[in-house]
Amino acid sequence: MPVQQIAFLVWLLFAIIIAAVFGIIGWRSRQKVDVSPARVNRFRILLLVILLVLSVIFWAYTLPKVPYPTEARQPDMVVFVTGKQFNFGIATHPMPTEKEWEEVVNFGEPVVLPRNKLIEFRVTSLDVNHGFSLYDPDHLLIGQVQAMPGYMNRLRYRFTKPGEYTVLCLEYCGNGHHRMRGAFTVQ
Amino acid sequence: MEATTIQSTRQPEPIILIQETTLTGEEQAQFKKLTLVWLTTALALFPILVILGLLMRGSQAAILKMSPELFYAFMTLHGLGMVGIWYIAGMAGAGLLLSRYVRPSLALSRGVFWATLVAVVLLIVATLIGKFITGWYFLYPLPLYPADVWKPWATLAFFAFLTIAGVAWTLWTVDYLRAIASRYSLKRALAWDVLFKKVKESDVPPMILILTVSLISALAGFLAAVVLIALFAAEALSSGFTNDALLMKNLVFYFGHVLVNITMYLGVAMVYELFPAFAEKGKLTTKWMVAAAWNASLLLVNLAYFHHLYMDFVQPGLLQKLGQIASYLVSVPAGVVTIISVLSLAFGSRMTWRLPSLLFFLGVMGWAIGGMAAVVDSTIVVNFRFHNTLWVPAHFHTYYLAGVVFMILGFAFQYAAELSGKAENLRLGRWLTALLTVGAYGFLSMFFYAGAHSVPRRYAVYPSEVHQGAGYAQVAIVFILLILTGVIIYLWEYGRRCVHAFSAHSH
Repeated sequence: MPVQQIAFLVWLLFAIIIAAVFGIIGWRSRQKVDVSPARVNRFRILLLVILLVLSVIFWAYTLPKVPYPTEARQPDMVVFVTGKQFNFGIATHPMPTEKEWEEVVNFGEPVVLPRNKLIEFRVTSLDVNHGFSLYDPDHLLIGQVQAMPGYMNRLRYRFTKPGEYTVLCLEYCGNGHHRMRGAFTVQ
Repeated sequence: MEATTIQSTRQPEPIILIQETTLTGEEQAQFKKLTLVWLTTALALFPILVILGLLMRGSQAAILKMSPELFYAFMTLHGLGMVGIWYIAGMAGAGLLLSRYVRPSLALSRGVFWATLVAVVLLIVATLIGKFITGWYFLYPLPLYPADVWKPWATLAFFAFLTIAGVAWTLWTVDYLRAIASRYSLKRALAWDVLFKKVKESDVPPMILILTVSLISALAGFLAAVVLIALFAAEALSSGFTNDALLMKNLVFYFGHVLVNITMYLGVAMVYELFPAFAEKGKLTTKWMVAAAWNASLLLVNLAYFHHLYMDFVQPGLLQKLGQIASYLVSVPAGVVTIISVLSLAFGSRMTWRLPSLLFFLGVMGWAIGGMAAVVDSTIVVNFRFHNTLWVPAHFHTYYLAGVVFMILGFAFQYAAELSGKAENLRLGRWLTALLTVGAYGFLSMFFYAGAHSVPRRYAVYPSEVHQGAGYAQVAIVFILLILTGVIIYLWEYGRRCVHAFSAHSH
């Protein structure tokens, strides 16, 4: 199941619980019941323990999986990505100037990546911030990183699904933001 | 749910909660009038900004055709406008509640009002006429890349808006802190005497504690904005100086994060102060747990902002993880203290549910549901797939629209009702709350669902890969129309009371 669906269902579960609690309490406001402060405090402590335990479980499960690159392992292949209003240049060589970027965008060979290899995208921008996102052949967002001027962000990904991948811009970058894109193929 | 919580459809007199004050005579009358002017200004702008949202969803639904420039101008104005109006309404309401204990400056509030009006005009001119379309966050270096879309004067107008509003609101914040510190020291206002167990219970009301936490955070946020504006100016005015994109991003998100969160807290402060009376119970007091919770919030809200920068992989990894830990923890005091307090007040209270108390209660629920969505998104591995999708507006619209906006609408209605003395129609209040709630959650559900289906935010139109976003936007439009209908009915009822209050006063 994609991460998005799991996250959505987790949130929905909590949202239903919260709404149910408010609904029940609202309903129970119709009758006069004396609630002792000690009883309320017991609820507070119970909720505190539940929230802290849940937090620790979620941290333990998710923090070791953060997508940030480590130096311990080298990538199998490096791909260079440069954003500029309103296109992504994607190539196997860097594009430090506008001229080189234009060549890649207008005349560059489509990039083809191997499956099951650790690919490192080195992502930057020649003008404003852009969002380099990976949409798989089923148009599911599988990951992203910011393209920032003056910085090189490294996004690593191991593709398992072959097909055409789309890159959309996920950081607002001006009036052409929604049409900014790029593409590559995984074989 | 709200249908279950109303016990009768009588038309009772409004209960008097807000009007007691430390001010006297003419000053009190002026302060009350000014508060009403602040609230009415914010409320009058609200439906206009809702309509901008409706038009944007219309474009995304492929029902309306508009240029991307117009869409992004609406987007910029809608974002800054909504945060701005609820901030000023929250501050104005907080000022009125503060005046029950301390003496905020009337002259300063009046000056801030006029400065804010000038700033609003500049913002409207910069976005709608000047097409300065950088989004609310004017993310560096986008304002310096106008292409042919906006002219230098529009950039100037926008930064003038920021500077004027920033200076005015900073002074407003400082004045409230001064007023608080002149009766309670800041240490006492932060309930450190209770926190460090020198006393068991403080005579500082929780509302003052929450406002002090909010105002200190606001000052820090405004300071970040000052540095940000100065750095923009330095680059624009000097040749060869270039800012650091990562630093600028940290500054703008710190500022934005704090401003939005403290606006939320301003609404929560209103609930703390007024909800007990609706529930026919005694005032809440500042005990150790309340003191600990809000001091923890002061620390955590300032650390949680790192979650805005998860996708900047060059940011040190330790800060990213700290962002996730702080974002989870900041929800704990809110849940354990505030939400349980409100629930325990309502439980078994046999209270008469009026429009303000319904909106307060549901506002706290919206805060909790939206907060939970924020916690989900603050998980780094989730943010990797949710960042800048519609999940983000989904969660902040939940705790804004169905959270703090509900709370402030409740507050403003209560205030107008008190001033007018007009009877309340409980049945109308119930239906109005139902309309706003169904509209809000229907509209929000489309954001959540779209975010979970990879639809990006801030897109004027959807490309083929995410074409499903158009369908979700179409459904959302129906619910926005419900919200708009609810807002118009609310404004009619609020306006009638304001007119009644003024005509009674003039006679």
